[in-house]
Amino acid sequence: MADLRQPPYPTVLKPYGQALVALAKDRDDIVCLSGDLTRQCEIDLFADAFPERFIHAGMAEANMMGIAGALARDGFVPFVHTFGVFATRRPLDQIINAVAFPRLPVRIMGFMPGVSSPGGPSHQAIDDVALMRALPNMTVVDVADAAEARQVAAAIADVDGPVYVRLKRGETPVIFGDDHRLRLDRADVLRRGDDVALFASGMMLASALAAATVLGARGLSVSLVNVPVIKPLDVPTVVNVAAAARVVVTAENHTVIGGLGSAVAEALAEAGLGRPLRRIGLRDTFAEGARTAPYLFDKYGLSTQAIIDAAWTALGNRDRPPAAGITPAEDGEYSPV
Amino acid sequence: MTRVSDPGAHWAVPDPARLATAIRLRAVRMVRPQGFGYLGQALSSAEQVAALFAVMRPGRDRLVCSPGHYVIGIFAAAAELGILDEDAAAAYGQDGSPVEAIGTERSPVADYVCGSLGQGLSAAAGFALSDRLKHRDRRVFAMVSDGELEEGQVWEAAMFAAHHRLARLTVLLDANNSQVDGPVDTITTIEPIAAKWEAFGWAATDIDGHDVGAVSRALTEADNSNKPSVLICRTSTGYGLRCLPADADGHFIKLPPDLAARAEAELLERYHG
Repeated sequence: MADLRQPPYPTVLKPYGQALVALAKDRDDIVCLSGDLTRQCEIDLFADAFPERFIHAGMAEANMMGIAGALARDGFVPFVHTFGVFATRRPLDQIINAVAFPRLPVRIMGFMPGVSSPGGPSHQAIDDVALMRALPNMTVVDVADAAEARQVAAAIADVDGPVYVRLKRGETPVIFGDDHRLRLDRADVLRRGDDVALFASGMMLASALAAATVLGARGLSVSLVNVPVIKPLDVPTVVNVAAAARVVVTAENHTVIGGLGSAVAEALAEAGLGRPLRRIGLRDTFAEGARTAPYLFDKYGLSTQAIIDAAWTALGNRDRPPAAGITPAEDGEYSPV
Repeated sequence: MTRVSDPGAHWAVPDPARLATAIRLRAVRMVRPQGFGYLGQALSSAEQVAALFAVMRPGRDRLVCSPGHYVIGIFAAAAELGILDEDAAAAYGQDGSPVEAIGTERSPVADYVCGSLGQGLSAAAGFALSDRLKHRDRRVFAMVSDGELEEGQVWEAAMFAAHHRLARLTVLLDANNSQVDGPVDTITTIEPIAAKWEAFGWAATDIDGHDVGAVSRALTEADNSNKPSVLICRTSTGYGLRCLPADADGHFIKLPPDLAARAEAELLERYHG
């Protein structure tokens, strides 16, 4: 049985930033680059601990990727930090030519994924996974919680080639227990069932867990798989779990084009496995600016209820789906929408 | 695959002016099989490339070629100096050849070649920063073209290099006033080039880019600066080849067999003259 906490989840601050400092204590090849979002990307901790290895590149993402590529070519392992939108859209050509094509060990840390930012389309990385997944040599990771955020720097430090990582900004829920281990080579089967195969990445894991609980309480047997590595996808696990189920649902905090849903669809199709597939994510639309992220998760179909509804109707049920019944979070806690 | 900074790399340039002529001659021969190519870049940068190889310390200093189209001149010089195999140079731009016409990551000789314009100065600044972090005595030379100044990333990198006082970084800016759609000054006003770089915190010098002695001296003197340096080399894409028609497209010169023969004869005469 998977090592999981119960919602609402406790939250912690700067799990990644603390872990990067711990890793850099042991490894003097790690350098840290900031694109003028130092505190927001938790690397004020690194700047304080290792000022000589902290490189402020300013608001100049294209140059920052070129600098990182050159440092990586010279034996450093650069961790590059900014929001996911600015890490992937503006310097795409630079990532391709200075990082991905030469297969250099640059680690691109994109904070504030999808609609976790209420800051509007300019600040919402809804296409970063698709952009990075399309690049040869690139590994793409979307961590689910603070337990994984604490492990991701060490986990990717020695990956051959570049890595793009999505990380939630600010208060980060702790969903997994202390024994959970982030693995890059395997999707994590959290529960097994034969009605619904549910695949979730990143922040959608909390919603997927809640949906699986509700569906289970209505007598459905649900597999739930946490997929932190979207590329290279753990195809054997995806196909194996999907083959045991009647329908497949994917959930990602991203557009449904080019991310987890697409990757799973490709894997199933190439395996010759036909299953009704429902992809939860932004429906080929930009979102909008708002006051709160939960409003956007609900409005753009990234809620627990949306996952329940998708599984329910995919199974051919015509009656009203069960209600999500989310427990609201207190201050300092996290609940999915 | 030898790069100029590889340990054990070795060459010597007894006569940079003669090397510049040899670069032109070899570039004509490299372009000749296809009948067209980036000959104009070799013609405008021949003295810069010759001076670079005269000043760079083999096995130590590094060379970045930002506009990948210019790699033809570097290949030609390298073949002359024994750094690049004759056969490899002769396969320039052919199917399956590692010596690609638009230089890439995989290109031999230079430490870094960018195919997508405007990116090389960032790489050069990264190298210079890396040398500082590792306490290494190395210079970094970057070839940049004037058309690239239209790309914003060049100025991001220029600000970064000046802010971080990367004084071991020297840019050779080939101001040949040529880009795909025509003369740079008809498309975007990039002047005053020197004043722009100075405003960005660089030491900037305007020189005749076809005076190989002036380029060599400026390269040597740049190492005394406490700022990164840019040498603005005023050049022409037709320089040193009188037989080229006056209206030749400097970015992509057509070289039909009869013109190629005349070009070779002209350059051979000068080389041996």
